[in-house]
Amino acid sequence: MGEVMRCNGSVLADLASTLLEPHERDVVRGDLAECGVNGWRACLEVLGLVARRQAALWADWRPWLALVGVVLPIGVLLSHASRSWADSTALDISLYVRLWEWSYLQYPGWRHELFWSFESIALSAAALSVWSWTCGYMLASVSRRTVWVTAIVLALVVFLATLGTSTVARITHDKFAGHFYGVVLPRLFRAAFVMLPVLWGIYSRRKGVIRPTMLFAGAALVITLTVLKSPGLENSLVWGRGLYGHAGPDRTFGTSDDPRPLWPVALVMLWPTAYILATAMPNRQRRLDA
Amino acid sequence: MLLGEFEYLMLTAAARLGDEAYGAAIRQEIEDATGTPCSIGALYTTLDRLENKGLIKTWMGDPTPERGGRPKRMVRVTPTGVDAATSFYNAVRRVSRGVVWAKS
Repeated sequence: MGEVMRCNGSVLADLASTLLEPHERDVVRGDLAECGVNGWRACLEVLGLVARRQAALWADWRPWLALVGVVLPIGVLLSHASRSWADSTALDISLYVRLWEWSYLQYPGWRHELFWSFESIALSAAALSVWSWTCGYMLASVSRRTVWVTAIVLALVVFLATLGTSTVARITHDKFAGHFYGVVLPRLFRAAFVMLPVLWGIYSRRKGVIRPTMLFAGAALVITLTVLKSPGLENSLVWGRGLYGHAGPDRTFGTSDDPRPLWPVALVMLWPTAYILATAMPNRQRRLDA
Repeated sequence: MLLGEFEYLMLTAAARLGDEAYGAAIRQEIEDATGTPCSIGALYTTLDRLENKGLIKTWMGDPTPERGGRPKRMVRVTPTGVDAATSFYNAVRRVSRGVVWAKS
């Protein structure tokens, strides 16, 4: 048992050492091997060094810019939007699952509704994904060495920012469905359309800078999706916090005359895209001048 | 510039070890002298701080079998480091004149 515990500690020490810079990783592991330190003590020693290295990085302003300028505001918005759109997706999915009949496809109205439901879900997923990808890319640009800490904080904000709030959409016709649609589906949404794109954005930035053609096409896509989904984003904040918006002169919610006092939040979602464009342009000009 | 106590211990250990001064050896010297464990984290962050101040120079040494074929981080005290350690030592001697633990 003691040998197993020591092996587990050594394995964890090796894993922890991957958080160090490559040149330091070998030196530290070599020092510990030479001194005969292994098992859990080696693991604690390496983690101690990792913690000190991370703490030193946070003395710089860049990780704080990433945390306060990107992770907190965008994480909160992504949390509300993903939960809200997961709920509306759950409504659509549960209706079709319960009421599906293949014969309904012959009716144009049913096909129309099916298409619009699919389009709504696809646009929601696409908007969340592009916002999250630009967020991950920006985090890796601003502070490469603290990106994993900021990504973990972002994950916590995304999954926890809506604690203590609810939405109006809850399906309760049976316990399994209620739990799946009310708890599991929002988490799947967040994992699939927020955190995976964030990780992909980080990975893309670490591979290198985006090509100019992709840059402008990507920016156009982000802006288009943001314009299309900004009313839904605002509603996710209003309804998601248990507040109630104004119905406008026609006294009907969800129509074009509803006031939109929260329209600037869409600009917050565009901030990573603006940063990527602004930092990519001087590099491009330098390459053209060279 | 007055050193910290751990910085002085590291400079002294490195100076004593001479050409054999590297991470693990310095750590062993400090542990032998103080009787307390010396963490890898404190060791390497202090090495970086001393190098940033210009008190030591470090470079990667050759790997050895007892280190699993991994390289060492070699250390050499610079003349500036010698001056800083000398100042610290003289300051400790001057301030310790006449105190009871300095008489033994």
